[in-house]
Amino acid sequence: MTSKKGFLLSVVAAAALIALLAWPARKGSTPTGAGPLIVYCAAGIQPPVEAAARLYEKERRVPIQLQYGGSGTLLSSIQVARTGDVYIAADESYIAIGKEKGLVAESIPLARLRPVIAVRRGNPRGIRSIDDLIQGDARISFANPEAASIGRQVAGVLTKEGRWDAFSKRITVSKPTVHDVANDVRIGAVDAGLVWDATARQYPELEAVPLPAFEGARSRVTAGVLTTSKVPTEALRFARYLGAAEKGLVCFKTAGYEPVEGDPWQEEPRLVLHAGAVTRLAIEETVAEFEAREGAKVERVYNGCGILCATIQAARGTSAVPDAFFACDVSFMEQVEDEFLPSVTLTETRMVILAAPGNPLKLLSLQDLARPGLRVGLASSEHSALGFLLASILDREGLGGAIEPNVKTRTPTADLLVNQMRTGSLDAAVVYEANASAVRGVLDVVPIALPDARAAQPYAVSRTSRQKNLAGRLLDALRSEPSRRRFQATGFRWIAGVSVPP
Amino acid sequence: MTPAREGAKARGTRGGLASDTLFLAVLGAVGASYIALIVALLVADASFSSPGHILSALESPAIRYALRLSLISSTLTAILSLWVAVPLGYLLSRFRFPGKPLLDAILDIPIVLPPLVIGLSLLILFQTPPGRAFERILPVTYEVPSVILAQFTVACAFAVRALRATFEQIHPRQEQVARTLGASRSQAFWLVVLPQARRGILTAGTLAWARALGEFGPVLVFSGATRMRTEVLPTTVFLELSVGHIEAAVAVSLLMVLAAVIVLVVVRAWGTRETLTSIR
Repeated sequence: MTSKKGFLLSVVAAAALIALLAWPARKGSTPTGAGPLIVYCAAGIQPPVEAAARLYEKERRVPIQLQYGGSGTLLSSIQVARTGDVYIAADESYIAIGKEKGLVAESIPLARLRPVIAVRRGNPRGIRSIDDLIQGDARISFANPEAASIGRQVAGVLTKEGRWDAFSKRITVSKPTVHDVANDVRIGAVDAGLVWDATARQYPELEAVPLPAFEGARSRVTAGVLTTSKVPTEALRFARYLGAAEKGLVCFKTAGYEPVEGDPWQEEPRLVLHAGAVTRLAIEETVAEFEAREGAKVERVYNGCGILCATIQAARGTSAVPDAFFACDVSFMEQVEDEFLPSVTLTETRMVILAAPGNPLKLLSLQDLARPGLRVGLASSEHSALGFLLASILDREGLGGAIEPNVKTRTPTADLLVNQMRTGSLDAAVVYEANASAVRGVLDVVPIALPDARAAQPYAVSRTSRQKNLAGRLLDALRSEPSRRRFQATGFRWIAGVSVPP
Repeated sequence: MTPAREGAKARGTRGGLASDTLFLAVLGAVGASYIALIVALLVADASFSSPGHILSALESPAIRYALRLSLISSTLTAILSLWVAVPLGYLLSRFRFPGKPLLDAILDIPIVLPPLVIGLSLLILFQTPPGRAFERILPVTYEVPSVILAQFTVACAFAVRALRATFEQIHPRQEQVARTLGASRSQAFWLVVLPQARRGILTAGTLAWARALGEFGPVLVFSGATRMRTEVLPTTVFLELSVGHIEAAVAVSLLMVLAAVIVLVVVRAWGTRETLTSIR
């Protein structure tokens, strides 16, 4: 064979190989034309995720492309490549980093992890605690605290207890991942290693020595939806499937994990939200966006908070309790707090006096509303937070009796008062700044200079809700930056994260 | 003259045979220790696996896919590496030019850099505007072409080294003679140099192929470890190891060894035969 023939042969061979590579790609393309979901998955949790992904592919005919690696390595890849839909980390701290870096949007918890000491079956060296490791002469494999969450969590607890120095001196070898540690114990290279309980359960040759004192070092396997996803609804649906009690979480349980209490699987989940009427303008757009992104239906019931509270109290203990309640004021949340998990207060809004354009009657304070002959509108104290809070302020200020003759109407929500002011049927009304935001410029808005003339709006998820995670993600959406801007544009002040005295 | 050499000269003919035997025995012992190490590794691996494990590995569609992709991509990488390494090796062996040491150093970079860094660099390269523009025509990152590019980036450097040494050993004189007889540079290259370099090309090709087969670091970062897509055999080993399936990891490793031995033995036998026939 001449050299030229040899070269030609190599060209033909290369072409044939490229054709061979291209062959399965064409065959594998989906009939629906939908691209696959790219899912980055921590290599250590491959078995349950792969099982759940195969089920999902079968049920929904959406191909899932799983890409494995260390949790931290994958996060770096996502940061550089800026592609992909879902990221499943072995430990939620990586999800937190992803959120900080703006790579992860929603997160869904999947399974709990607890640190244990892994030893060979039968525990030949009789290791019972960390102290046995510190005082004994067992060879120890430990996951590097910089690289692996198990190492970081255990080192954190030991440092707090002042035992880290003694323990770290006893470490025979540091390994990059928890499975490297388990493999060390299994092969017999060391006598003991610190691993997650779920890891130890995956090895029939290993026995787990529980560490009850390490409750603080628990972690959670968590799925995060990536901000780079071009199909966030489909990505979220897969993440929800993974975290669904009767779907993905079953795979985690089978693989030896302790799954979290997940939401039930619904292709298009439904959430009932009770929200004070005053919040409607501020949250409507955010809730609609949330519905579109989640592929969920949020049934919102906007009404005066007195009415909402009465409905919730009547429904106590039944499925008619809403999944979430966004109250007009913390005082209302207190009335039904048994039904809800601890609340988070997002915003506050101040009471104002609405007056005709230019304020011709020079109404400057609550006292002025007692002027004879004035037509005043107030919110009903039974039905609305505003009415309830205002009544107590008026009583305290000794104005209740004086204003009473002027009150021409008591409405269940303050929106109605705004409309009546616009028609000119009232001279003044007391509403929230948030109610007044739509009529600023049309009507005069007079602030009330009393520190407690305000309401703070808390959000809480029902204790009996079957969609706690979904309702929790709605809270995240309400706390997001775009939502914050909407609240501020509609007359609310942002106080999320600040505790408000009742 | 050093004392040692004097001594050797003195012993010269007298103890010649005995000393030769001793010399060869030492060489043999040193060499055998390395071979023993390799064989011991394989035996240890085999003790952690069984034919059953290898068979069940072969039954897995993911592993069959990985085997197929590994063999195809390594072969393609070997061919591409030769296409680049033959001209590059030839030019480097025949010409002197300013900046040649720098060029040499650049060619060593893929050998010196940690494989993970090569993967990361490729990943970053394809996120630059030209990289992204290229991906619009042919998607590379996390796709099959990325496997070949990752393997090629490293393997080609080895092929270049091997071929440069080959061409340096072929005396330019024959080429010069061919040219005085009227051959062009191209004719001399195709008809005189390349046939003599056949064994070197074969060595470079098998070196690149073997290197590509075992390549993992850059593939993991640049191609990802995606089952049934960018999974090559080293990826399989990594995935099995990362969930504690040591038996499966070892089975796949042995499968790799088997595939590599078969391919290398066949290619070398064929190459030698070809060389012999061409000489004849």
